Amino acid sequence: MSEIKVNNLTHTFSKGTPEALTVLEDINLSFPSGSFTSIVGTSGCGKSTLLKMMAGLFDPTDGEMTLDGAVIRGTDRKRGMVFQQDAVFPWMTVAKNISYGPRIHGASKAEQQAAETKWIEAVGLKGFEDRWPRELSGGMRKRVDIGRVYANDPDVLLMDEPFGALDAQTKERLQSDLLETWRQTQKTVIFVTHDLEEAIFLSDQIVVMSARPGRIRHIEEVALPRPRSNEMRLTSEFLDIKRKLWNMLDH
Amino acid sequence: MERIQKILRGRFVLGALSIAVVLAAYQWITMQPDNNPALLPPIPNIIASFFTNIEAGSLQTTLGASLYRIFLGFFIGTTLAVIIGCLVGWYKTIEYLVDPLIEAIRPIPPLAYIPIIIIWFGIEEFSRVLLITIACFMVCVVNVIAGMKNVPQVYVDAASTMGASRFQVFRTVAVPAATPFIITGYRIALAAAWTTLVAAELIAAPSGLGYMLQEGRRYFLTDQVMMIIVIIGACAFIMDRTFRAIQKRLMVWSEARE
Ligand SMILES: Nc1ncnc2c1ncn2[C@@H]1O[C@H](COP(=O)(O)OP(=O)(O)OP(=O)(O)O)[C@@H](O)[C@H]1O
Ligand SMILES: [Mg+2]
Repeated sequence: MSEIKVNNLTHTFSKGTPEALTVLEDINLSFPSGSFTSIVGTSGCGKSTLLKMMAGLFDPTDGEMTLDGAVIRGTDRKRGMVFQQDAVFPWMTVAKNISYGPRIHGASKAEQQAAETKWIEAVGLKGFEDRWPRELSGGMRKRVDIGRVYANDPDVLLMDEPFGALDAQTKERLQSDLLETWRQTQKTVIFVTHDLEEAIFLSDQIVVMSARPGRIRHIEEVALPRPRSNEMRLTSEFLDIKRKLWNMLDH
Repeated sequence: MERIQKILRGRFVLGALSIAVVLAAYQWITMQPDNNPALLPPIPNIIASFFTNIEAGSLQTTLGASLYRIFLGFFIGTTLAVIIGCLVGWYKTIEYLVDPLIEAIRPIPPLAYIPIIIIWFGIEEFSRVLLITIACFMVCVVNVIAGMKNVPQVYVDAASTMGASRFQVFRTVAVPAATPFIITGYRIALAAAWTTLVAAELIAAPSGLGYMLQEGRRYFLTDQVMMIIVIIGACAFIMDRTFRAIQKRLMVWSEARE
């Protein structure tokens, strides 16, 4: 069980100063346990801010978020996050980055090794175990980021544009892999993206946000059957949803 | 590979060349008929002074005394700087408590403490080591604090969201992320150690490189003075190079080339 709820959340940066900036207003959302939700919206509408608050990196100025009824305060390994920026530790090799989570939680050498093998394979970085991050491309580093969070096995997976920097093929492969991992582990996934096709392909529900301040414009329930296959991307149901959502975004 | 070797060789050759030109120019000036060798000793005299002092054993004793002071002061000063700097840079409460103090003391040149240290502790070995310790600590701690404050937030956030405790983030993220700054702190501290050492020995020491400089001035042994200057330069250079090598080893992960 890992259900996240966002209740009457409003967030203002630098509240009470002349630079006060309300980035999120009246957000009410529910992410059922084991569901896959995407959040789309124009740049600057507060998607990353919302995700970071769910991760517990800072508190909203008003309202609250709960995980299984308990108010979210501070970070916890149950809520893992893939950041929009590159967050790979440059002073650790690829393998050491991947096993960072298990290591700080006291996993044995053998367990760390197992996690490294499993997740390096999963994100397609075999052969790069002992490389330094500076020797990888931007997209490869992103995959280290993703593998590192997977290896830490959180119940809730917060992903902030994780596949933004990848080429189409790698992206499609990682999307399918993500769905597979998700199906097996029943994690609650909250996924921010600018790519409508990606959102539709992956999600149970899609939250469309409007900007300044960020509000919820629409929630789309995606009724496409699972498991999803790449051929579905071209079906009329799929494209109808895409057209509908596209018209909803601020252009 | 071949190209890199070529560049390295080119670099070494050019460096040696510029030193050779300066030495040759110096030697040429000393060979002019109106040169007073007591003011500008020719290079052979300087070298002779080196061997005379080696034979007498005085250079070894001197160098030993000075290096001992440098190492001890440097070691204590930088160790304290790393410990205190990490704590100040990472824990807000400690920062608020200690940082104003460091900021207040920082602009005072360490040599300004010489009189008070002599009054309190006398012209003793302890006083000289203490002075070098203070100098090393002050320049190093500032770098360590800066390093801890420049740890990119996203690394801290990434570690925290993976469930790392505040102390684990400190140990596994903040300290490694700050190492480039910390190593720079060490290198600046080493330079400060030499400056302070010579000054301290000029004023208050019965031995050491600074003392030999002073002795050279008193008895007008210009070749000895020149010889000691070269020795100090060479020692400081070797130590800095050693540090750079260590830095390179520790920083293999870093994007920076040097
Ligand atoms: N720490 C902060 N302090 C002040 N303002 C901030 C801070 N972080 C973000 N903002 C502001 O909040 C707004 C929303 O930022 P956020 O990063 O959440 O947007 P986003 O929806 O993720 O955009 P993008 O799609 O470009 O990533 C922006 O206007 C930004 O300037
Ligand atoms: Mg963002």
